[in-house]
Amino acid sequence: MVRKQQAHNEQHTHAMVIVGAGFAGLGMAIKLRQAGIEDFVILERASEVGGTWRDNQYPGAACDVPSNLYSFSFAPNPDWSRSYSGSREILDYIRYLADAYDLRRHIRFNANVDSLRFDEEAGVWRAHTDDGATHVGRATLLASGPLADPEYPNISGIDDFQGHRIHSSRWDHDYDFRGKKVAVIGTGASAVQIVPELVKEVDQLKVFQRTPAWILPRLDVATPEWNKTLFRRIPGAQDAMRKALYGVHEAMALGVVWNTPLTKLLERMARAHLHRQVKDAWLRRELTPDFTIGCKRVLMTSDYYPALQQPNCKLITYPIDRISEQGIRTAEGIEHQFDCIVFATGFHVNNQGAPIPIYGRGGRNLDAEWRGGARAFKGTNISGYPNLFMTLGPNSGPGHNSALVYMEAQLDYALQGVHKILQEDLKMLDVRPHVQQKHNERLQKRLAKTNWNSGCSSWYLTEDGFNATMFPGFATQFVQQLKTLQGKDYIKV
Amino acid sequence: MATIDLDQMLDKVKASQWALKDIDWDAPGAELITDEQWPKLRDFMVDLVWIEHVGARGFAAMAKNAPTDTLRQMYHYFYAEEQRHANAEMALMKRWGMLDGDDVPEPNNNIRLVVDWMEKHADELPYNVLGTVIPALEVALDGALCQFLLETVDDPVCHEAFDKINEDESRHLGVGFSVMEMQGHNQASVGMVRFMGRMFQPHVLLGLAVYTPLLNKMRDNVVKVGLPEEKLYHAMKKFEKIGGRTEQGRRNPMFQFVARHMRVMVDRNQKFYHTPVDLLVKLTDRIPAWALPDKPGWVGDVTWKPTD
Repeated sequence: MVRKQQAHNEQHTHAMVIVGAGFAGLGMAIKLRQAGIEDFVILERASEVGGTWRDNQYPGAACDVPSNLYSFSFAPNPDWSRSYSGSREILDYIRYLADAYDLRRHIRFNANVDSLRFDEEAGVWRAHTDDGATHVGRATLLASGPLADPEYPNISGIDDFQGHRIHSSRWDHDYDFRGKKVAVIGTGASAVQIVPELVKEVDQLKVFQRTPAWILPRLDVATPEWNKTLFRRIPGAQDAMRKALYGVHEAMALGVVWNTPLTKLLERMARAHLHRQVKDAWLRRELTPDFTIGCKRVLMTSDYYPALQQPNCKLITYPIDRISEQGIRTAEGIEHQFDCIVFATGFHVNNQGAPIPIYGRGGRNLDAEWRGGARAFKGTNISGYPNLFMTLGPNSGPGHNSALVYMEAQLDYALQGVHKILQEDLKMLDVRPHVQQKHNERLQKRLAKTNWNSGCSSWYLTEDGFNATMFPGFATQFVQQLKTLQGKDYIKV
Repeated sequence: MATIDLDQMLDKVKASQWALKDIDWDAPGAELITDEQWPKLRDFMVDLVWIEHVGARGFAAMAKNAPTDTLRQMYHYFYAEEQRHANAEMALMKRWGMLDGDDVPEPNNNIRLVVDWMEKHADELPYNVLGTVIPALEVALDGALCQFLLETVDDPVCHEAFDKINEDESRHLGVGFSVMEMQGHNQASVGMVRFMGRMFQPHVLLGLAVYTPLLNKMRDNVVKVGLPEEKLYHAMKKFEKIGGRTEQGRRNPMFQFVARHMRVMVDRNQKFYHTPVDLLVKLTDRIPAWALPDKPGWVGDVTWKPTD
């Protein structure tokens, strides 16, 4: 039966193979269906849809972009319960997309793609999964997500710890935290959401910080019923709200992306927030960043600072020396002992390598080519890898606006590509090398003037300081460049 | 000695970490402290713990103002290491039955005033002031006080702890002297002018007013414990010798100032200096407890417990 299925998969060539059933993969599927393209397959490594939001279900997990903006424009949800919805609700929205657009029949669950290879002769991509199957497509969308694989810190002795270990993106919901001594390593976007929830449950919580982040208050309120009714009855009102939120976030770019007077204003606001919530001068000092706001990801929370000051919580800023069998040794010579260590240490970022082995024209290897820093065309195509599209690829990361706005533009662009391949019966639609090179030269020139490249170390940059992650501009500019797929930018065979 | 490679030194610092748990604080030998030694040693250890604790705050300020990321990381480690020294010294006090409860004994008024000053001004102090003062104090601690302690205390656990502490201090000094040389580089005539400008800022002058009586008091206390004055002279000579080993080092006006000050401070015959400073010691001793400034949040983060 399995062999028969494999043989069938081998024989059939889909219009598109989609890798990943998160926001991007499902969004592409919806676009394809809306365009009348039904022959596609979605390969999902897990047993459920949801991607990042399926994986990140830690206590307090929520999006730091308002839900009315962090959703697809073509699938508004009038029933968001809060201004910044939690991950459970976002996951429900993604599940709704899968069901409402009848996508589940296209999804192969537990199909973990372990390589993608372009067959130049046939002009198709072959996606191999670790169960031995091969799925063939005229085009492929790599929608595996930029932040999909957990990253553990490079701390010696990490495997020696005999207590419980949890990564924020692989939460153990069966672990009982009550009465436990718990460590949280990391003070980034996940940690500032986890700490306020954990501190309510545990006996003792210690938060290990390497670098403090800039934190702005989050105005998270429950959506009143009349608001939901209004959005249900007058969809235009929700659209207007979305546009307003979009405009406000676009304006934030002026302070977050580039160093302007608004940057200083935002820093002042963050300092005022810190000053208002933290009375102890030393703790404030420990929590005050020494880099320009925007250089690292700006965090939004009103709960983190109060949580740190609970009697059962302590912030540790001494450097971590090693992890021992019973806890964490820090450079002040003390071994802090724990029942459980929570690693809120983020994700593996593919800015210096491919997420999976990908082989393009002439067997070229994307992983090797990206070793010196990932480069693509408009964050969506890669020269030498025809008919391959990506979402949130190199230099398509937003620092100030909803990632879904960027993603949606890429999906529309990929749809244009698929149309071209199918309608013109192309074997290859490949970005011209010099076009990609010029594009990247322009990007890097503009990135040099942004706050991301202003001297701090962050996951946006490679160890050499190369920025392969962020888009240096407004979301509007990003969307604009993807409006039309220009045939002259591509080699067509 | 040439200027060291700071990146390599940072790697070495990271690779040379130790913890209180590495020492058996219950090992035999505590009984070797004599009844005669005990009270003087207790006073000395209290001062020492506090000096390390205040020194840690100094390194924290340097980490904030360091000119490079390597130095920033380095000073962040040194800050933690000074805390570690304070913790280890407190563990020795615990071992010798010198603690009443878990907290570090109250500091003297001079330390309280320095703590307050550090809290208010350390972060805004010119980088090269702390970058020179701290090595000078470390030479005094490492080269005279701690060596003397090891000569007079037979407890092997004390030796084990101070061997580790001294290894850390030697790295602190290596970096400190290198940085002083870097500071002296290109600082010829303009250096002195800039230096004088910085020194005459009110907070720096206030710092001198709280720092000099503390030094005098410490100096007299350690001599009272039995430290021969020559050892202090030699330690300060060492500071002058290493700090002035290169042209750049000698050109650093802050080094010249601190070296001269230290020379005068250890020499009791320099009446023009000691008379007013001793008066300040007497005055500060009389400040009532209620009039002393509140302790900032970082004070008291010292423990004798190897695990927490």
